[in-house]
Amino acid sequence: MLSRVAASFYWLSRYVERSDGILRMLKINYASSQDAIHGFTWDPVIGIFAGGDYELAGKLQNDSRAVIKYMVSDKENQNSIISIVTMARENARSVQEHISTDLWQCLNEYYHTVKDINLGVRFKKEDPISVLDVLIKQVMLYYGTAEVTMERGPGRSFMNIGKYLERAIQSIDVLMIKFNSISDNPDLITDTTYWKHLLLSLGGYEIYLKTYRDGLEAQNVLEQVILNNDFPRSVIYSVDHIQRYFNRLQNDSSLSAYQEVSFYIGKLQSRIKYTPLKTLQGAALHEFLTGIKDELYQIGNLLNERYFANS
Amino acid sequence: MQESDFFNGYKAISNVWDEMYASNLAVRSPYERVIDYLALESVEDLNKKEELAQRLFMKQGITFTVYNSGEGIEKIFPFDIIPRIITSAEWDFVEKGIKQRLTALNLFLKDIYHNQFIVKDNIVPIDVIYSCPHFLREMYQVGVPYDIYVHIAGIDLIRDENGDFLVLEDNLRTPSGVSYMLENREITKRLFPDLLPSCGVRGVNEYPTLLYKNLQSLSPRQISNPTVVLLSPGIYNSAYFEHTTLARLMGVELVEGRDLVVNNQKVYMKTTIGLQQVDVIYRRVDDEFLDPLVFKPESILGVAGIMGAYRKGNVAIVNAIGNGVADDKAIYSYVPDMIRYYLNEEPILKNVPTYRLSNPDAREFVFANINKMVVKKTNESGGYGMLMGHAASEQEIERYKQEILKAPRNFIAQPTIALSTAPCYIQGKLQPRRIDLRPYALCGPSGIEIVPGGLTRVALKEGSLVVNSSQGGGSKDTWVLTPPSPKGEVTKI
Repeated sequence: MLSRVAASFYWLSRYVERSDGILRMLKINYASSQDAIHGFTWDPVIGIFAGGDYELAGKLQNDSRAVIKYMVSDKENQNSIISIVTMARENARSVQEHISTDLWQCLNEYYHTVKDINLGVRFKKEDPISVLDVLIKQVMLYYGTAEVTMERGPGRSFMNIGKYLERAIQSIDVLMIKFNSISDNPDLITDTTYWKHLLLSLGGYEIYLKTYRDGLEAQNVLEQVILNNDFPRSVIYSVDHIQRYFNRLQNDSSLSAYQEVSFYIGKLQSRIKYTPLKTLQGAALHEFLTGIKDELYQIGNLLNERYFANS
Repeated sequence: MQESDFFNGYKAISNVWDEMYASNLAVRSPYERVIDYLALESVEDLNKKEELAQRLFMKQGITFTVYNSGEGIEKIFPFDIIPRIITSAEWDFVEKGIKQRLTALNLFLKDIYHNQFIVKDNIVPIDVIYSCPHFLREMYQVGVPYDIYVHIAGIDLIRDENGDFLVLEDNLRTPSGVSYMLENREITKRLFPDLLPSCGVRGVNEYPTLLYKNLQSLSPRQISNPTVVLLSPGIYNSAYFEHTTLARLMGVELVEGRDLVVNNQKVYMKTTIGLQQVDVIYRRVDDEFLDPLVFKPESILGVAGIMGAYRKGNVAIVNAIGNGVADDKAIYSYVPDMIRYYLNEEPILKNVPTYRLSNPDAREFVFANINKMVVKKTNESGGYGMLMGHAASEQEIERYKQEILKAPRNFIAQPTIALSTAPCYIQGKLQPRRIDLRPYALCGPSGIEIVPGGLTRVALKEGSLVVNSSQGGGSKDTWVLTPPSPKGEVTKI
């Protein structure tokens, strides 16, 4: 497979996954803003997706619709859905002859749905959740189409590696933001709605209820998001899948590149599995999460260098 | 049955060949079935079909991007739903004519880059060759596989007021539009169910297979599965959709310049497993951007050193480099002479009469009759840089004349030809619009093949004579019919 094509597959998929994460996050946060009696803040969202640009946060004034509009259809914002989907589509365009026609059309429709000028009006006038749902459905269609129609070859492996890498990074980001806020405001650690929102925005609330019977506790939330093998957005689930799809690339790799990347994926996997989470708090926890994030980035960089010929 | 509004008020332009109507507004026989079919549809139905066509193009991303005020706007290449029909007899004639012309043009390119007999025999003057910017000294004495220079040709044809086909120009470098030929047919299948088989329309979808077979046969390495790639300038190129379509239909890798690298005069592509040698390149990048070491040094679309690999014979490039000398508009006027010189045959397809403005007598004549002339720059295409004598103002003409006098070699003039018209469905009515025809000819080691069909371009602006997509042109599906079975004879199945 051409290096450039592999890179496009990988980035296409990372962007779609990122858009999915953002949409869900927006939906849950909007919902919580509606049942918050006091002091709901969009700061964490802006923190993750606008690189903590607090000047901007000031401008948006915690106005839910303004934030959603900024996050969905502002072309100036590099992390808005429209920017991300445009980039996903550009990547798909450059590998159009490698992806199934169905998948291309699906992505193309997603793009045109986001680009629809009526969308801005609808965010103003209608219930934002139903508008976000329209977009989320487009992502779901994309995943279904990819699952059913994509050739089981190296292209799909690169797509899945990108998808799970992006997902792991997002989950870590959410944890970092939430746990960092605790150090400023220790009361939060016992605030159940705070943890409920975290789980909801990752789609893990229902699994949590089934797994832990003793209420919402920070330690358990952390454990679920990092270590629960059955939770499709947990870090370990994502890393296991990165490994699984990377292993399939053996025949499309040079031996040294394969060994090198394999080593780092295995190392990360072990680090996650064999760190006693319960002993981690405060600075140690922060260090642990930062460490995992760095290693995820390192895997991305290695792929870039050894597989995408961008050294 | 012809009661629907859109049949009434069709005003064929006088002294112009109309594809559908004969002089007394009688429908020509190949169009009868189509007209019967349309007559059963209401205007609403047809509008719906037009919308469906637009939606299908948009959904499939068959678009080109126009960059405007920093933002890319995607447009679809306008498509008219009424097909253009060519009878089997007309097609046979066109096919023969193109084969003859292409054979002569290939011989000319071989000759001009080797012994130049045609110059020594005083058929084509040497200064016309050497003053052509597309004549590349870098190609002198370079052998190409099977002596084929033009593997893919898009020769533009028009019809004059008598319905005779004339050659308007030869496109021998990187002719585009073939994907629209294929897609237009797919769309028509959706728009008019069952109509195609009942009319006996010949298929066009063989094209990618034929092209791939030819490309594969050019491989310098005698191996069972040579690597064929399509070299594209990238996603920002307006024809990118076509590049991906062809790559997908042929099952070959679509590469960009940055995917290729030359080592030891061999071309390789960068893959996840390492470098893989490339044998045949179907390039959609122009000559001057191909190799920064030989041509434009600032080009990043090409591959450094690829010309060296080509001259060494380690890679086949399609179309050959330097073909521009044969489709230059000044050379065009010599093509009939070439056919006589190389083949000892009379040209089957005629040229549009052409005045070379480097000739003082011709120049004087053209200046005196400029209102009836179209003046073109010899090295421009896409409908740019033309002077339409009948529509231009005095000042425009004067300015253009000054330009001509500065470099007469760079201009030719042709009498304004009344391109034939075909009915188009515009705003709920059938209206005549000017059309041309570009069939795609493939030349390989086993001969020349032309899929029955082509791209019919149409000038959608009322009264316009320019069919180029950059100037408001659109396209139609082009049908070539099977020969009618002899009367009284039952076709055996």
